[in-house]
Amino acid sequence: MTTVVPVDLAEVSAVPVRLGAKPSAVGAHSAVPTGISTRGPELLPLEAGEQYRFGFSMNACIGCHSCEVACAEQNGLPAGTTWRRVGEIEGGAYPETKRFHLSMSCNHCLEPACLEGCPTNAYEKLANGVVAHHAEDCIGCQYCTWNCPYSVPAFQPDRRIVTKCDLCQPRLAEGLAPACVSACPTHAITIERVDVAAWRADHAEADAPHLPSADITISTTRIELPADVPLETFSASDWNLRPEHPHWPLVWLTLVSQFAVGVSATVDGSGQRIMAAALAMAAMAGALLHLGRPAVAWKAFRNLRRSWLSREVALLSLYGGLAAAAVPLDALRWPAAAAGCAGIYASARLYIVPGRPSWNSPLTVVRFGATAVALGPIVTGHRSIAAAGTAIALIATALNWARLMRTPQQPWWGAVRLELRWFTTATSVRFALGVAGIVTLLAGAPLALSLVLVACCELIGRWLFYVAVVPLNMPGAFWRGAAGTHR
Amino acid sequence: MMAGRLQRAKDVLGFDDGAERYTYVTEPGRGPVSASRAVDHWVASTCGYCSVGCGILIGVTDDRAVAVQGDPNHPVNLGRLCPKGLSEHHSIHADGRLLQPTVHGEPATWDRAIGTVVDGFRDLIDRYGPESVAVLSTGQLVTEEFYTLGKLVRLGMGLHHYDGNTTLCMASAVAGYKRSFGTDGPPGCYDDFGLADVVVLWGANVADNHPLLAPRLLGPNRPYLITVDPRVTKTAMLADLHVPVRPRGDIALLNGILVVLIEEGFVDVDEIRETVDGLDDLLEHLAGWTVERAAEGAGITTGELQAVARRIGAAERCTLAWTMGVNHSVQGTETVTLLNTLAVLTGNVGREGASPFSITGQCNAMGTREAGFTASMPGYRNYDDPAARAELAALWGIAEDRLPAERGRAYPDIINAVVSGKIKGLWIIATNPVVSYPNRETLEFALKSLDLLVVQDGFQTPTTELAHVVLPAAIWGEKDGTFTNSERRVSRVRAAVPPPGEARSDFDIFLAIAQRWGCRDELFDGWHRPLDAFEEWRRVSAGRPCDYSGITWDRIDAAGGVQWPCPPGEHVPIGGTARLYTDMRVNRPSGKPMLFAVEPKPIRDAPRPDYPLLLNTGRTVEHWHTRTKTGRIAILEGLSPEAWIEIHPDDASDLRIRSGDWVDVASTRGRVDRIRARVTATVRAGEVFVPFHWDDRCANRLTDDEFDPISREPNYKQCAVRVTRSTGR
Repeated sequence: MTTVVPVDLAEVSAVPVRLGAKPSAVGAHSAVPTGISTRGPELLPLEAGEQYRFGFSMNACIGCHSCEVACAEQNGLPAGTTWRRVGEIEGGAYPETKRFHLSMSCNHCLEPACLEGCPTNAYEKLANGVVAHHAEDCIGCQYCTWNCPYSVPAFQPDRRIVTKCDLCQPRLAEGLAPACVSACPTHAITIERVDVAAWRADHAEADAPHLPSADITISTTRIELPADVPLETFSASDWNLRPEHPHWPLVWLTLVSQFAVGVSATVDGSGQRIMAAALAMAAMAGALLHLGRPAVAWKAFRNLRRSWLSREVALLSLYGGLAAAAVPLDALRWPAAAAGCAGIYASARLYIVPGRPSWNSPLTVVRFGATAVALGPIVTGHRSIAAAGTAIALIATALNWARLMRTPQQPWWGAVRLELRWFTTATSVRFALGVAGIVTLLAGAPLALSLVLVACCELIGRWLFYVAVVPLNMPGAFWRGAAGTHR
Repeated sequence: MMAGRLQRAKDVLGFDDGAERYTYVTEPGRGPVSASRAVDHWVASTCGYCSVGCGILIGVTDDRAVAVQGDPNHPVNLGRLCPKGLSEHHSIHADGRLLQPTVHGEPATWDRAIGTVVDGFRDLIDRYGPESVAVLSTGQLVTEEFYTLGKLVRLGMGLHHYDGNTTLCMASAVAGYKRSFGTDGPPGCYDDFGLADVVVLWGANVADNHPLLAPRLLGPNRPYLITVDPRVTKTAMLADLHVPVRPRGDIALLNGILVVLIEEGFVDVDEIRETVDGLDDLLEHLAGWTVERAAEGAGITTGELQAVARRIGAAERCTLAWTMGVNHSVQGTETVTLLNTLAVLTGNVGREGASPFSITGQCNAMGTREAGFTASMPGYRNYDDPAARAELAALWGIAEDRLPAERGRAYPDIINAVVSGKIKGLWIIATNPVVSYPNRETLEFALKSLDLLVVQDGFQTPTTELAHVVLPAAIWGEKDGTFTNSERRVSRVRAAVPPPGEARSDFDIFLAIAQRWGCRDELFDGWHRPLDAFEEWRRVSAGRPCDYSGITWDRIDAAGGVQWPCPPGEHVPIGGTARLYTDMRVNRPSGKPMLFAVEPKPIRDAPRPDYPLLLNTGRTVEHWHTRTKTGRIAILEGLSPEAWIEIHPDDASDLRIRSGDWVDVASTRGRVDRIRARVTATVRAGEVFVPFHWDDRCANRLTDDEFDPISREPNYKQCAVRVTRSTGR
């Protein structure tokens, strides 16, 4: 028997904030944040040069996670998709221990890296500052998930696209605060207006311990830090250093396209030209499997102006076409090789992003180029070139470790730890195969043997490239990344 | 078939971005919200998890609870909810609901199941007497059901041994209040947190366990907040002063505070002498205490102890609130009486912002305390009070000798009697002792040795797996009635959707059993719905400390909850009575509060070389009790998927343990293997902490089945364990 109780919905404030006049500030920072208060943004419309943003008081947050649940309910998100997350940082000695919580979702940056890199221009910086993501334009390439230094955009498997916080754009349009703001029992999360030019000049308040520098994308989230944050802190998720997804279609794309370009650049005879063309086509076809929505892959050309991913797709497609044309027309072999080299360069450049420190180096260009030099010339019979390419690939990997070990933050040294400790066997086998490949090449052993050795070396190396990377991220809770939990 | 394949191919190729599943609808007063949460109508109720008692609106579409929101007009939470509340609609339609009665594992009709229960218990009673069958209930039912169950068990079935899982959480507060003030009943209210100058949270981690109380401790007019806890909890992080008391050191701390207050003149003993009982015994006892001794026992410095005492002494209004850190002790009752003593001596009883206040555990633990028939008879009537017995017998129209002469066995004593073979039949209602009872091995042995185990619950649990008869019950969101929260506020809970399958409300099950037992006509004449029980309970509670006689369901709606005592009459505000003992007259025969002197006892299962660490157990914000519900809600499970052990960096370093490592934990009673270590300085060196919610990695395989001799509440908070690195990866 269902009892229906008439609740006068007109009386139900969607922004119930009457739990005492609790400001977001509790401790030393007592300034009441400007911006949308209880009544909704229509009462505080943006003035010229302003945008909306989140404010967060680390003093007021009690770590209850209500914001995360409210967000999931507001947006009907499936389990595992979290647009807002609460992390924990800890420091100090008992009993002066301090543990603070940091609740964050999208920071609606002034220079959103997700938007810059998106090959389909699926992102848009709206007039009110919201970094909006248009699902219909998303092909599920997930490049934004690498670009964002806060690991905000995330692939949502049931939709096969990336999704993220839009500051509750539908609620904003009705003059209501975002669901997380409305749900927070202690008013730790607020929505505010910010003067864009002033914030661009000084955004120090967007920084917090264990958060990537706000300089990267000019995060707009204003974070009120307690006065007593210990000098040394750690993030509760630090322990959970674990490999990333291998992206097998991308292992295939980069490895095979580089192999093809190596053949094209040293090609001799129509058989090898056919091989190069076939490899190039196969590489591109395999890459489609990476996309959540291969049916709309064509949209990837849309952002040639800014996105290295668009350029990679364009240049490798051009290369594939020229390599195919070069089969009957030998004169096109050099234009094909040139397009292929440009394609490899674009490929490598798209990995050079601050959000993935272990990739964020010119060494990535060297490593990708070295793969082409190591593999292609074996097929075309240039033993010493191939040996040199293999050696460069190994040396560049080692140089990258040396570079990463110099930075005492987990996204840097953690990548090396993953490669050397988590994947000790794979890394050892890779180097052994590479050395064996060099020896067989220089010793005049059958080329087929060398090709198998070097190809396996590079296959393992490329797989390690994708799995042994630690993204920049916001600090996590203890269970982040553990089985069954969100990122 | 073809269409399905075509659709799958289209999905894989990604023609579709899934947008049609993620649209928004705009509802008046609510704003745009995911269309998956579109609501046809709202049903006003009260949250079914903890005792804070937040008002909650359940959104219903097509007989499914699809959304919730905090009730903006409810005085407790004013529209806000914690993560469990915000996802509470998912609990109703979660997997694992019991849909059909079973008898010996086979599906059965209700008729057969009820027959098996009644015939089985009757047979045991015939052969072994009424002492051979016992009932364990809960704090999760509505008050109307508790009242019904109490009459059924005590008068109808004539059983001697009936208790609830409230003994696992609130019994010490009950016993402490009865000793100090004559009857149970928290004297204060939530508004006191905002009105106090100083709030002391004593073993109360509200940020995790009662989240909607935390906002009352923040803000511009916040009180000076003192937390007393061996752990630096989330709540301690909010405090102005955290007292890292040694486990079981709080009695020393309280004695020390009393010494300072009296020595430094904050308490004028001569002035107070006429208004209290037991003063001289207390003073004599305190003569054996010095600040130094107290500080040493509490594990803090004398300066820290004096600072706490002076803060309390100088406060115009001080609220002393506590919960499981105090109750879960072999000295829980005594600690409560000592807290009450401190409150009485400092004048912090019955005034705004000033009271000794126990924060309850379960959503309706208070309901069973008031209307149940366990620790006392309904209406806080003591079994040995002749006047109360006569009054109750007259109200019910029965002979006085039909009322039990005494309370019967408490929860742990029921389990012990099962172990010793005295109790052979047990009816467990809405509780999961396999996970929640200390020393799991003994408990499991007990349940497996029963001739007849009947378990009535909404979900499959580790306890229903052991049952001979399982009775599927409706749960929160499917039942009507009232809950009483920690501040004595009676709020409505409502059925928003019908129960699934053949599940029935506990009320209906009780009446069906009464019918078959042959006592329905006598005890429940004309009863068909919970309101019938409520109306009788109003009459039975009239004039008692927990007086409901002026409370009607309509008044509850109008006021957003009514605090008892609420006799009829214009002089009582519509919201009832905010505070007890405002005239300083308590419910003892003398009318004066009783002061108590307490001496601390050492920890029984104290750390020693082979078990060198002290285990403390507790909760986390994402889960409720044994995760019967929250473990089935994906977002909460994702936030907190498994148990862990918190260990101090020094101990971790000695044991070569890092955060995230698997460790094994052993006590003399049992072991928990492969539990994640969380290395953190929120626990003291030498102490570890494990949350108790999980069946897997169950903390209660380790805990000691030692009980408060007065309240019979378990000592969950201190036992000795050994931690080692797990072998293998």
